[in-house]
This record gives sequence, structure tokens and C-alpha cells, in this order.
Amino acid sequence: MRQGSTLIASIHTALDDSELVRFEHDLVKQIGEHRSRGVIIDVAALDVIDSFAALTLRRIADMARLRGALTVLVGIQPEVAFAMVRLGMGTGQIPTALDLEEGVQLLAEVAATRNFPSSGSQPQKRT
Amino acid sequence: MNDRTTDHQPVHAAPEHDSARSGPSGHLLSQLVAHLREHRTRLQEEWSQRIQQAHLLTAMTPQEMAAETTSVYDNYVEVLETGNVEALQHYARDLSERIIPRGVETHEVVGIVLLLRDVLARSLFEKYQRDFSMLNEVLDAYEPAANRIANTVAVSFVDERERVIRQQQDAIRELSTPVLPVRERLLILPIIGVLDSERAKQLTEQLLSGIRKHRAKVVVIDITGSPDVDEAVANHLVQTVDASRLMGASVIITGLSPKIAQTLVTIGVDLSKMNTIGDLQGGLEEAERLLGYAVTRKEVDSTS
Amino acid sequence: MVRRIVHARVGSHPAAEDLVQETLTRVLAASPTIEPGMLEPYAIVTARNVVASMWRDVDRKHRNQHRVVDLSTPDPPETQVLLDEEQSAMATALARLTERERRTLLDHEVKGTDTRTLAAREGSTAGAVAAQLNRTRARLRVEYLLAAAQIDPPTEQCRAVLMALSSGDKRRQREVHAAQHLLECEPCAGLSQPLLERGQPRDDRLTIPVTTDPDIVTARGAARELASRLAFGPTDLTVIATAVSEVCRNIVRFAGTGEVVVNLLEVPRRGIQIVARDGGPGIPDVERALDDGFSTYGGLGLGLPGVRRLMDEFAIASEPGHGTTVTMTKWEKADHE
Repeated sequence: MRQGSTLIASIHTALDDSELVRFEHDLVKQIGEHRSRGVIIDVAALDVIDSFAALTLRRIADMARLRGALTVLVGIQPEVAFAMVRLGMGTGQIPTALDLEEGVQLLAEVAATRNFPSSGSQPQKRT
Repeated sequence: MNDRTTDHQPVHAAPEHDSARSGPSGHLLSQLVAHLREHRTRLQEEWSQRIQQAHLLTAMTPQEMAAETTSVYDNYVEVLETGNVEALQHYARDLSERIIPRGVETHEVVGIVLLLRDVLARSLFEKYQRDFSMLNEVLDAYEPAANRIANTVAVSFVDERERVIRQQQDAIRELSTPVLPVRERLLILPIIGVLDSERAKQLTEQLLSGIRKHRAKVVVIDITGSPDVDEAVANHLVQTVDASRLMGASVIITGLSPKIAQTLVTIGVDLSKMNTIGDLQGGLEEAERLLGYAVTRKEVDSTS
Repeated sequence: MVRRIVHARVGSHPAAEDLVQETLTRVLAASPTIEPGMLEPYAIVTARNVVASMWRDVDRKHRNQHRVVDLSTPDPPETQVLLDEEQSAMATALARLTERERRTLLDHEVKGTDTRTLAAREGSTAGAVAAQLNRTRARLRVEYLLAAAQIDPPTEQCRAVLMALSSGDKRRQREVHAAQHLLECEPCAGLSQPLLERGQPRDDRLTIPVTTDPDIVTARGAARELASRLAFGPTDLTVIATAVSEVCRNIVRFAGTGEVVVNLLEVPRRGIQIVARDGGPGIPDVERALDDGFSTYGGLGLGLPGVRRLMDEFAIASEPGHGTTVTMTKWEKADHE
């Protein structure tokens, strides 16, 4: 799904390792094709993010950055966040946001400070 | 083959039950029950007096005492008659629920039941004292049943007490880790008292679900009120910060004593990566700053 | 008929299943520290201890009840007799298996040899070995009950019927006229109850073969599902699923094939135990694998130490060339007691 120069990828169901790898390839390819500036990965539907899933997400973010896009991870569930840090997995340097809406906003803010030409939505000030 | 089943319906009935009804002791028990019913007023009176002499159940008024002892007495005799402790169990639990909040102790409850056992035994002794073998048989029938009653009451009371204690513990735990929404998108988590691992875990769970519920962007964890933080808990604190960040919330820690800071450094925490501010006031100001100005992350290298 | 069975007097022996399970679990946990030739005697001793500790437990509860009401009439000699009987029953039951049955069962449950390896040794298939193991377990249950009740089956048919009940084989039960037999045979009616209870939804143990990527997702889902029957909160459920995911991945990556056994525990406390075993190359240096930052597959090196942090108990046994077994437990709640 695309919104302006932002690519939004939602994972709807638990993925096994090979499916994660396929997801990674597809997404990275699309980032290239669309010259996206921002990528939002919504993982709200994942009930487990284990070391491989976390690693894959980090790899996606790294690849996206090489292609000039910023990745934001949104929707990590409280229990999943807890299990991830217990396991010793972080998301490295990937910025995170509570949900899609927050993620879009976060990208907009970053874009505003970096003077990106355009973005999915205009930066808005919170009251 | 249904006829085979009708005569012993309660599957779980204890062996005493069956023998109490069928054997010769069954006959004795019904005689005994009749005796206890007949002298109910006198025996109950005697029992109440002995309770007073023993200074048991002092938390209760004389009226309450009279009402409860009557109920206990009647339930007691009923168990002797039917061999079925279920009603008694029910009553004992109900009674416990009412008297536990008033500070009645286990020994008091057990005490009064044992007193009743003795009062009744004595009256049996008086009644049958001329016929020694008869007395023996009556006591043989009475004692196991009476002990079973005492057991039932005591166990019910203790069970109930444990339940109440567990409930209170849960309540205290809830209270001691409140997640306070101060204003939109800002949570404060004051940690008060001693943190053990179990509480620390609970705290993390509450905070994380609080972040989602209040859509918090900034969390201030104030540990001024927690004097002791060992390594395990310090580790937990760090994990809490990381997990909050995974949910998109920044954490500010305030009230970090030099000793706790030391502990954190000892276990290899990079304090420069944690947002720590001396006092709560400063922490709140920092939080306002984070919320008031756009929250941006700067770690992305410019590649465009 | 069923009523009759339910009403039939059954002694207080606990479900045999629990005992067998618990025995094997404990033996398994201790297996790395045992000399190869000592496994069998050890299993028997453990079986005794498990039974004994169970009785001690029951006994202690009785005594505590007495203490509460200040009665001093427990009956130590009688309890002691019971205890001895239960102890020897498990040993007797194990001894009544055939040499081959016993060896296969112990190799599988104690040494963690997987069915495929066993099949190769016996010149059989993995499926056949698994079926044989199930029969052996069913037999062990029957023999345990018989030994515990000190009953010599009065008729030729008794063992066949009890076996059919124990293995939960409905077709076989019809073949041997199990229902009819239970009506006529008093001892079997009594013994059948624990076996029938077992056949009821007492499926508190799951074995999931793990070979491919999707198996990992299946295994962690199944573990979560089973764990949700206990009082685990959402966090613990996720933690358990994550740990299972990690150990399964190690099986797929390094051994290619293996299995995960998920087990709900009642003793010593309620909890969930997960045993992941494979017949892969094994881990040459377990100590190092448990160090944060060590990894052989270019990951983040946080597999095993992370799993250890997630669970309450964690043990790993690995022998180069013979595979790896990870046993880990999460207790339901740490707060009462």
C-alpha cells in the first residue's frame, strides 16, 4: 500500500521464516521501484517477534536506508515488546511508533526537519 | 443396572458416611443425635459459657455470638446425622468470610469447634456412664465424626483466609504500581517500596499496556521512593525502558540515587543511553519539552 | 455401564499417567549426568522416588490438616506401608516390560534418542517405533496399576481389556468386548477408572514434529494454546511462544529434523515444560553457546541465552554427533509460596 512517497506494509498474520524472507525481498524491491522516502511496517498482527523476525525487520530497515528511505516500525504489542527485550532483541536503530497513525506522523516530522520535498501527509503540530 | 447406583449416589462420600448409616454405629449415631437435639438449649448454653471463659471470639457481640453458636450447633448435629459435610463446609466458609475481616484468628475458630466437641462428649459421658461398653461404642461412633467436623471447619476457615490474603496481596500490588496519566500522552510511574522481580515484572506489564491504553509518547519512571534496587531489578528497569521504546514511547527516569546509578553501571548499563534526570520536577519539564516540540529521532544519517 | 464404572470402588492411587510422565521427565532432566549403563536402574530408582515423593506430599497434607485442628492421630505405620507399595509398583511395572520394549522406551524418553534413530537401529520405520512406544506406555500404565493394586488378573481377558482401555483404542475395545468384561470383572472395573479418565480430555501433552519453517509457527502456536489452559497472563504466553520459536528454529537450522514435546505440569507446581530434541550434529561447546554473543549461523547470537532468560528453568544436553535436547520450564505463578 502506498501513500505519497511512503510505503505502508502491514503484516496480517503470523509468518514463518521463509515467508518473512519473501516479505523482505518483496518490500525491498518495492521500495526501489517506488523510490519511497518512508516505509512503515505494521506488525500489530504478530503475536511473536523472535530473533529471526527481529533480524529480518532490521535487515529491511538497513536496506531501505541504503536506498534512501526511513523505516518506522509500528504496532508492536506490549507482550511482544516484553518478550523481545527479554530475549535480548531490540530493533536496533529502527524508530518505532505506537500505531500506523503515529508512524505516519513520525515520518512527517522527520521529513519536515530534513526538508524532504514531499511526504504522505503534512507535518502537524500537536496541541 | 441403574438400581445398583441409586443406593450410593454421592460418589465422593467418605467411608465414614456409608458405615454411619448402615452399620450398628449408624443406629448409635441416630440415638446420639436425638440426645443432642433434646438437650440443645442446655448444651449450647454450656458451650457458650466455655467459649467466654476461654476468651475466644471476643471480637463478636453477645447477640452475634448467640446467633452463630446456634448455627454451628445445628450444623454440627446435622453432620452427625447425615454424615454429609457439604452444608457445614458452606456455612463455615460463609462464616469465615464474615469474621475474617474482624480479625478472628484460626486458633479461635478451631478452639470453639473443639470446645463444642468436648461439651458434647461430656454430655454423652454423663448419659452413658453407667453402661461402660455402651459408652465406648457411642464414643467410637462419635469421635471420628466429630474430628471430621473439626477438620472441615478448620480447613474451610484456612482456605477462606488464604483466599482473602491473596486478594489483599493482589490489591496491594495494584496499588503500589499505579500508572498515572498526567496529561495527554504522558504517563508517570512512581515506584514506591521494595521491588522484587515479580513486582518488577508486573510493573513492566502494567506500564506497557498503559502506554497502549493512553497512547503515551513519554513515560516518567520515578524511583525516588524505592530505596533498594538490586542487579536483577536494575536489569528489569533497563528492559522496561527498551520495551517502552519498542512501543514508541520515550522513557525518562528520575530520582536515580547514586547507589542505584552505581548498580546500573556495574551491570554494564550505558547510562548515557538512558534519559535520566535528577528529580521528578525536572523529569516532567523534560517530558513537556519532548511533547511540546516535535518528537524527532535523529539517528538517521542523511543519505539524500 | 459407565455409571457402574465410575461408581466402582477405586483405591486412592493417583492417575498412573502422572507418575509415568513425571518419572520419565525427571530421568530426562538428569540424563546428562548419568553413566550410559546406569540409565535403566536410575529410571527405576527415580520412579520410586517420584512415587514416594508423591505420597510424602499427600501425607504431609494430611498431617498439616491434623496439625490445624490439633489432632494427633495420623497413622504412620500404615502410611509407610502404602508408600512402600507404591514405590515397588513402578519398579515391578518396568520389570514386566519386555527387554526390547524397556530399552526402546528408556532410550527415547531418557536419552532423548528420536524415533528415526531408533527405527534405523531396529530396522523399522519411525512411525512404527512411535506406535510401539505408545503401546509400551499403555502397557506400563496397566502394569503399574496391577502392581499397585497387587492384583493378579483373574481371567485371560483382563490384560487385553485393560490394554485396550489404556491405549484408548476404541476399535480394539470393541473387539475384546471391553464393556462386557468390565461389568463382569470386579478388579478390572476398579482398575479401569484411572485409565478411562486418561482417555478423557486429559491431553495435557503434545508432541510436534519439527522439520520445516511452518512447523516452527505450528509448534509455538500449539505451546501457547496449551499454556493458555493454565493461569498464564498474555505476557507469559507470548514469552513461552517466543522461547519455543527459538528452540524450534535451532532444530530446523542445525539438525534438520526433531521434535518438541509440550507438557503441562502439576507437580511440583503448575507450569509448562517444553522439551525440544533432535538427532543432529550436537553442540560441541555448550558453555559457549550459552554465552551472549556467540552464534554459528550469523544471527545475533542471542538464541539460547535469550531463551534461558525467557524461561524459569532451562537445561541443555548435547553430545556431538548424537543431537541436542533442550528442556525448559515456565512456572505458572511465582507468588503463592
